[in-house]
Amino acid sequence: MTVTEEPAPQQSLGTRAAKTLATTTKSLPQMRGITPRWLLSQLPWVEVPAGTYRVNRRLTYTVGDGKVSFFNTGARVQVVPAELTELELLRGFADEQALSVLANAFEQREYEPGDTIVTAGSSLDHLVLVAHGKVDRFGIGEYGEETLLGTSTDGDHFGAEMLAGVDETWSFTARATTRVTVLVLPGATWTRLNGRSEPLRSHVREVLAQPRKPQNKAGEASIDLTAGHDGELTLSGTYVDYDPSPREYELAVAQTILRVHTRVADLYSKPMDQLEQQLRLTVEAVRERQEYELVNNTDFGLLHNADLKQRITTRNGPPTPHDLDDLLTRRRKTRFFLAHPRAIAAFGRECTAAGIYPATAELDGKRVQTWRGVPMLPCDKIPVSETGTTSIIAMRTGEDDYGVIGLRPAELPDQYQPGLNVRFMGIGSRAVTSYLVSGYHSVAVLVPDALGVLDGVEIGRA
Amino acid sequence: MTVTDPVDSANQTEEQPQLSLGRTAARQLATTTKSVPQMQGISSRWLLKVLPWVEVSGGTYRVNRRLSYAVGDGRVTFSTTGAEVRVIPPELGELAPLRGYEDEDVLIELAGRFRQHEYEPGDALVEFGSQADQVFLIAHGKVSKVGTGEYGDQTVLGTLADGDYFGEVVLLSGDEIWEFTAKAVTSCTVLSLPRRDFEEILGRAESLQEHLAEYAAIGEASRNEHGEAEIELASGHDGEPDLPGTFVDYEAKPREYELSVAQTVLRVHSRVADLYNQPMNQVEQQLRLTIEALRERQEHELINNRGFGLLHNADFAQRVPTRTGPPTPDDLDELLTLVWKDPAVFLAHPKAIAAFGRECTKAGIYPDAVDLGGHRVPAWRGIPILPCNKIPVSETRTSSILLMRTGEQAQGVVGLHQTGLPDEYQPGLNVRFMGISEKAIISYLVSAYYSAAVLVPDALAILESAELGREG
Repeated sequence: MTVTEEPAPQQSLGTRAAKTLATTTKSLPQMRGITPRWLLSQLPWVEVPAGTYRVNRRLTYTVGDGKVSFFNTGARVQVVPAELTELELLRGFADEQALSVLANAFEQREYEPGDTIVTAGSSLDHLVLVAHGKVDRFGIGEYGEETLLGTSTDGDHFGAEMLAGVDETWSFTARATTRVTVLVLPGATWTRLNGRSEPLRSHVREVLAQPRKPQNKAGEASIDLTAGHDGELTLSGTYVDYDPSPREYELAVAQTILRVHTRVADLYSKPMDQLEQQLRLTVEAVRERQEYELVNNTDFGLLHNADLKQRITTRNGPPTPHDLDDLLTRRRKTRFFLAHPRAIAAFGRECTAAGIYPATAELDGKRVQTWRGVPMLPCDKIPVSETGTTSIIAMRTGEDDYGVIGLRPAELPDQYQPGLNVRFMGIGSRAVTSYLVSGYHSVAVLVPDALGVLDGVEIGRA
Repeated sequence: MTVTDPVDSANQTEEQPQLSLGRTAARQLATTTKSVPQMQGISSRWLLKVLPWVEVSGGTYRVNRRLSYAVGDGRVTFSTTGAEVRVIPPELGELAPLRGYEDEDVLIELAGRFRQHEYEPGDALVEFGSQADQVFLIAHGKVSKVGTGEYGDQTVLGTLADGDYFGEVVLLSGDEIWEFTAKAVTSCTVLSLPRRDFEEILGRAESLQEHLAEYAAIGEASRNEHGEAEIELASGHDGEPDLPGTFVDYEAKPREYELSVAQTVLRVHSRVADLYNQPMNQVEQQLRLTIEALRERQEHELINNRGFGLLHNADFAQRVPTRTGPPTPDDLDELLTLVWKDPAVFLAHPKAIAAFGRECTKAGIYPDAVDLGGHRVPAWRGIPILPCNKIPVSETRTSSILLMRTGEQAQGVVGLHQTGLPDEYQPGLNVRFMGISEKAIISYLVSAYYSAAVLVPDALAILESAELGREG
């Protein structure tokens, strides 16, 4: 087929001139920042009529340990003294001076991938804090071979039994899987310091003397039951104790003032209402910000609100099928994963390398990838660090399942969409109309195991 | 059962006189059943089927977008004389700091200072941590950017290919260090400009100094990660702080798409049209085949037209080269991160689909097929991969794979057409009677009007230089 283009003189009206008479079809203003916002669409929203939502739980005794933080001075890494109270035995110990002496007594050691940090069976004579890197812990299996117990990473520690002063041996072997920086407190140093500081000694004695209250494995005060009995036993009486200071979630707000000149709103509203379009895009921006806050807010954001025991790290670096399986085993009824699109691609690569092709599923009319039947939803609000690491979130949702729920207010005055209102503020002396656009939101984790986070997901590893 | 002996009868036929009416003679009385004229050039034209068509009643479609400051970078082109490669001076304006700079003389001088280097696969162009003192333009080949991961190991940051550049920060400041190692993946031809030479020219050219100062100032305008002017919001606050006031700015000069046309004049002799119409109408058949050809051309244009064709209309930030050569599952995953918001379809040359199938087989995976409009089509991660033979395959057997989101609601790719044309034959296509010439030839003007618009840049991504014939 030929396209003829002759340089002959024009004989009729050109398109350029004709255009001046014709109406141009116009698209709505387009915005690149709009994302599918899966989190907002998949979270079940609970209406909070009075601005506060209280999560009542059973009385729980704090068990286990928290994570320790560190600070760097050049290549030297030190533990933040006050953070040492995250160790179970030092919890509640407030003598700052003694803590900083203790913090300074730690020795820094570096390990290469594959190096052994502690060996099973050798005497447990030091406390190890992992400052940076990944450490695999191997126990001895049923038939004498090694069995992977878990992976420790930044802020974890092991060997805290040493502080109690009992003579024990390591029950596992710890081996570095990446380059690892650890801080080590040798037993001899501890004994020396412990001997010197009277408050420290008495604190440790007190803690050890405290009886352990009856509790289940999640740390909840036990409900005494009798089962499997015969005859006429006196049955155990019980009651279910509640947490005396339950967590309250207040609705957070994302706000802005939208300004529209009256002249623009009055005159230029054909075929599209200018105010409506301004509002539509502003609301999109507010919604995007809401999703960002639900993930990243330091108070209630999912990444910060996950229980430490529900945070695991990747075994190696890239998100492998093993890692996601580990994440899945931590809770029942996982409804979906939430991951950065690049993390999903990295997971896809790992699957391809392993020679598997996970199935896809349809969710709300859209095709999404799944793993073990659980959809993996993309969310670009999950941060990716400069070194290319990110996190993957897994959650169970819904009030009935003791899951994660989104919180939003019940009917608002001047409501524009659920949980979002637009209030007329007035017209200024420059004829600019102002509207206050507010979105209210929060997210609550009803039971800690409803939310899990896989940390240390490397997305660029070849 | 009886078996007739064929040998016997064969011998006899030669000798015996014919006893009944022969086949040839009988055909004189019988009617031949005829097929309609067949055509090899008809393809499945998936693109035309999957694109949602938007009605453009005035011949022009304006895509309004939020105001954005250019952040995406263009590509540099080169001229080659024998083995010598030179950068075309005005093309240096594609480097972000030099965008909009127009002093021809200075650009020519700058272009002249670039030096050509050749690298073998595995060679390092720059090393992590060393001082950044050169701008690199990649004339040909693939370079991978490798950074340092969380635990000191290597992490791939991205792949650069023909026309890409890196190190443009060197133009702004002399005391940067390389934040990554750049390694040649294939054999590469690279042009580099040392900071020293640049400074020398900068010292003489005042207009360039001004331009760079302006650029540094603009860099601070507030914008989101897509380069759109920020919508100011406050969130997570308590108490009574002053709230930011905002408005959503639009692009002052939005892009307008005019409907393009594919036309032809169909000629039919009036004697043919009058007499030979049983059982098939001659004009209708002529028209049918002409329209098929026109539709094929329409799809070709939607992909290849320099003005609106998808291959040319994709944002540069939305183009990635394959990591090694053939289109691997990893490459398609990479493509999916670029159009991660509701991707609709992949579009690839049938040979590219075969090449991808080979790579899947090599990796030991078998992607499932999906159902699309009643057809089983291959898919990747649930997104159908549709064949389209209009995507060009180069002489060196490389091709491109497109991934797009479709629909006006989803801010995707849309097709544009106008229905309700005078003498409309099919939507967006009309056949107008032109007249009968003095030679008794009837002419019909067949015109199809169409265009395609990418509403938001991240609706379309292209995997480039996918090698189709590479083995191993």
